[in-house]
Amino acid sequence: MIFNGMIVSVVFLLLVLVTIFMGVNIVPQGTKYVIQRLGKYSRTLGPGLHFVIPYIDMVAYKITTKDIVLDIPSQEVITRDNAVIIANAVAYINIVSPEKAVYGIENYGVAIQTLVQTSLRSIIGEMDLDDALSSRDAIKAKLKGSISDDIADWGITLKTVEIQDINPSLTMQKAMEEQAAAERSRRATVTRADGEKAAAILEAEGRLEASRRDAEAQVVLATASQTAIEKVSQAVQGQELPVMYLLGERYVEAIKDMSTSANSKLVVLPGDIPAAVRSLMGSMMK
Amino acid sequence: MEFDLQYWHWLVFGMILLMVEIFLTSFTVFWFGLGALVVSAVLAFFPALSHPWQVGLWAISSVLFTLLWFRYFKPMMRDKSKAGNASEAIKGESGLVIAVPVGDKRGVARFTTPLMGDDEWPFICQSDVAIGDRIFVLEMSGNTLIVEKR
Repeated sequence: MIFNGMIVSVVFLLLVLVTIFMGVNIVPQGTKYVIQRLGKYSRTLGPGLHFVIPYIDMVAYKITTKDIVLDIPSQEVITRDNAVIIANAVAYINIVSPEKAVYGIENYGVAIQTLVQTSLRSIIGEMDLDDALSSRDAIKAKLKGSISDDIADWGITLKTVEIQDINPSLTMQKAMEEQAAAERSRRATVTRADGEKAAAILEAEGRLEASRRDAEAQVVLATASQTAIEKVSQAVQGQELPVMYLLGERYVEAIKDMSTSANSKLVVLPGDIPAAVRSLMGSMMK
Repeated sequence: MEFDLQYWHWLVFGMILLMVEIFLTSFTVFWFGLGALVVSAVLAFFPALSHPWQVGLWAISSVLFTLLWFRYFKPMMRDKSKAGNASEAIKGESGLVIAVPVGDKRGVARFTTPLMGDDEWPFICQSDVAIGDRIFVLEMSGNTLIVEKR
């Protein structure tokens, strides 16, 4: 009897042990447990210590409520200006209602990945390449708006989407490099032409200035000659002899110079120097 | 049964169970440890208690401790952080309406402190709102807030 009582009490103890072990649940911070009562959703347990009725309630899903980082795989996207680029992104989602996430969709991770992928493709498809590279905020806002309604049923919030890197395809890269190189050489040519133009202008200005000065010099020379002639005429005043003397002296000097020059030793002398000088004077002496 | 259980056997057993809890962290063995201590106290006063009764008393006292805990002590434990609990963290937050919902277009509310990494959220409200109204978050639906005007 005592032995039977012992068996009963030990089995009762085991029952109590298993029951309490199954009933006490510690939910760590950052997770939530979805509880099903006989197959139907009953409640969601937040962080902390909870007691669920064993054998009737069971923990069906353990869901993290921390932000989940979803890697959006690389894909080829064609922009509006027909550039083929390879883009990949990273999305941050947060499960706000665990029960909706587990009962609303089979695999929320894959679902959101594909949704973001297709939305991203259509959004970048409406943009030019340069816009796609520079307007991340606009892409983010559009993406959030476009998939917000789709993920509402799953109790998930898309916190942010960041485009990680956009790589143009090889031919596109080559074309971009060529474009950049052409732009540089264009600038070099323009700079060189600008320099040549400036040089030509400066040169012409120099010539203009020089001619102006030459003309002025000729005027000054002419004026000087005029003055000299006037002075000589004033000094002569119709008398022939001083002029004759001066000219004769010059004539003789010139012949002397000719005789000392290296290239010719043949000196022609006029027979009548006064007559020659007089003929040089011309009508002035008449 | 040659072996006779003394009250100090239960005492040591109970203390060992309490120590085991440190390694198990499931918060279940703890009650059995306390139960064993109760059995040791009862046995100190009634040494004639038979073994089945001792084991039975241990089981019953353990269940009682568990029930007491969940009935009286757990409600006293408050949540100290809402970190990582988006829905609890945003419920009851208040913001200002900066764009009124028109037709099927959603309104936009701005919050003084960012909510889940953003300080501007589209919202849906059952009652009519005007720009500058203060609204309170009830629920989150995708990337849209369900709000109410109090």
